[in-house]
Amino acid sequence: MAPSWNQELVRGWGMAVGGAAGVLRPTTREQVADAFADVQSRGGSIALRGSGCSYGDAAISSRGHVLDLSRMNKILAFDPIAGIARCEPGVTIRDLWRMAISFGFWPKVVPGTMAVSIGGAAAMNIHGKNNFAVGSFGECVRRFTLLLPNGSVVECSRDQNEDLFFAAISGFGMLGCFLELEIELKRVHSGRLRVGAVVCNSLTENLEAIERLQGEADYLVSWIDFHAKGAQLGRGILHRADQLEPGEDPQGVRYFDPCMQDVPTTLFGVVPKGWLWPFMWGAVKLGQVGLVNALKFAVGPREQRQSPYLQSHGAFHFLLDYVPRWQWMTKPGGLIQFQPFVPAAQAERVFRLLTETCQREGMVPYLGVLKRHRPDPFLMTHAVDGFSMAMDFAVSKRKQQREALWSMCRRMADLVLDAGGRFYYAKDAVLEQPSFERVHGAEVAQRFLALKNRCDPHCILQTDLSRRLLG
Amino acid sequence: MKSRTGVCIVVGASSGIGAALARRLCLEGRKVALLARRPAELKAISTSIDDALGTKSAFPYAHDAADLESAESLFARIEAELGEVDELHYVAGVMPEVAIDEFDLGKDVAQVQVNALGCIAWCNAAARRFLSRKRGCIVGVSSVAQDRGRCGRPGYNASKAAMDTFLEGLRNRLWRHGVQVTTIRPGFVETPMTRGLVLKGSISADRAAGLILRARDRRRSIVYVPGKWRLIMFVIRNIPSVVFRRLSI
Repeated sequence: MAPSWNQELVRGWGMAVGGAAGVLRPTTREQVADAFADVQSRGGSIALRGSGCSYGDAAISSRGHVLDLSRMNKILAFDPIAGIARCEPGVTIRDLWRMAISFGFWPKVVPGTMAVSIGGAAAMNIHGKNNFAVGSFGECVRRFTLLLPNGSVVECSRDQNEDLFFAAISGFGMLGCFLELEIELKRVHSGRLRVGAVVCNSLTENLEAIERLQGEADYLVSWIDFHAKGAQLGRGILHRADQLEPGEDPQGVRYFDPCMQDVPTTLFGVVPKGWLWPFMWGAVKLGQVGLVNALKFAVGPREQRQSPYLQSHGAFHFLLDYVPRWQWMTKPGGLIQFQPFVPAAQAERVFRLLTETCQREGMVPYLGVLKRHRPDPFLMTHAVDGFSMAMDFAVSKRKQQREALWSMCRRMADLVLDAGGRFYYAKDAVLEQPSFERVHGAEVAQRFLALKNRCDPHCILQTDLSRRLLG
Repeated sequence: MKSRTGVCIVVGASSGIGAALARRLCLEGRKVALLARRPAELKAISTSIDDALGTKSAFPYAHDAADLESAESLFARIEAELGEVDELHYVAGVMPEVAIDEFDLGKDVAQVQVNALGCIAWCNAAARRFLSRKRGCIVGVSSVAQDRGRCGRPGYNASKAAMDTFLEGLRNRLWRHGVQVTTIRPGFVETPMTRGLVLKGSISADRAAGLILRARDRRRSIVYVPGKWRLIMFVIRNIPSVVFRRLSI
């Protein structure tokens, strides 16, 4: 029987891009294969989607078909001694850590929200706050099973079909659908981390502090106040976190209970955090983000004095889950994130230029995050030996302002690419076709396209992102 | 409160309330024998506890609570290997999915075997020793589900009621000899057993374990965890049967 596709509105997580598409939510690998065959027989295209946490158009296909894998969400096996999990692609990071923490394990790489699916994490080769130390998510994938659009099933690992292994991870869902992935987790000796804050009064201080601490800290992430100008441009608060040694935090044993890792659901123990987004929406609409940032920066020294303190892994990592539906504060236009990855030597100059450009054009990101990275072995990698600066922009519903934002981002992208920088497709919404070769280099881009042609000759795997970048 | 220094046994320690209790007991500085069916999970939990504390305090013993005959010999082995036991926590429990029109003897027997008979086997092994030593503490984790027979889970309700009544009898038999028996009736607690159920107002297994140990320290007889369930169950217990059978609870 032919699969029945439901017409639904499918949007990127940032709500700024999207459109109607036929959606199917398979629960078995046979249903995925049937969906591929069905679309191929009709000459259509299909986009793979996990939890839909990509900010832009990486998991959507306007007027096409979307295969939503969120119901293939079983953890098939977990070895609690070695810390190795075999998962279906729709298993989320949340499912994974909730199961593993009881046994003293934590995923090696986690993003800022636990809603991300394992399949999506591998396809986009996501990174965490420890990218400079342990690399990207792909580096903790041991093996996976990939269903190619022609219906064949391929086992991939570092020793078997390694070209596909290194390309499907980071290949933004263009080569096939993950059916099973084997993930390696790491042992933690406490349910908590030692966290410290460092106030940085300028971009130079911010980058220098990260550079100085990257040899000793396990996690580093810095918040940037994009509204600060002049000597204080790029100021922010850097958070470092370190794993604890055996016996260092006996009370941390209680935090092996998954519930102790959850981010708090109320503010001051009473106000449900789900009620907060309208207030944040007000701050955005009234143009008061600068004031909120200044207040946040002003309490930084207090946090620095109280450092270090102990915090659960969940509370430290999943900052995006603190306020449910926080992205609604950018309604009705939604948000996009512009996240350039720039080699260390160029980072300060480029980031300063980008910040000044935003300020000059009056489109200042309401949120900025600075992280340190290192290269990884995956074909379509976004990582460089340098820094990334995530810039979140609220998008206007007005066409003119929207186009001005896209145009500014494209000009900024040119600056980044000229400096040898890269982009990350889980976040991108603005790059155009010529940029693809500039991001990866002509040789790598050709290798990827050849692999795509081999695995998917009829090009049925397409997303709005791939049509934008690959043509 | 008399200082507690002996070895503890936690039956059903590989997940949920049992694992949380084992962690808290180890944190108190006790030697804890962790018992559960799945050896790998049990070993992993024990390793994680020892790792966090930096000392050897968790000792895994693979054991199926439905294997009633081996309770006595395993109790003796634990005492021989770790020292005198003065505290037993029986937390093992099973609650299989049962459809509203399903009458599966196998599932009901499994529940009675683990929830009720397993508890009786381990409590008997403990009671005999604690009585002769005139000290010791038995904590049995029953459930609020034991208070009424409900249409959704008759087998589970009956097995927990049997366990609860057995613990009451044991308490009445042992209290004059200085042996404490505490019955815990947890309400909604987030554990692997309740995964997938919508439990409004549930508490964490760690919080439940904290309340259980507080009840033990206060030498309480029957404790609802958290306390609000005493009131809730008072109301539910007093709903006349003709009304109760029409409700969806």
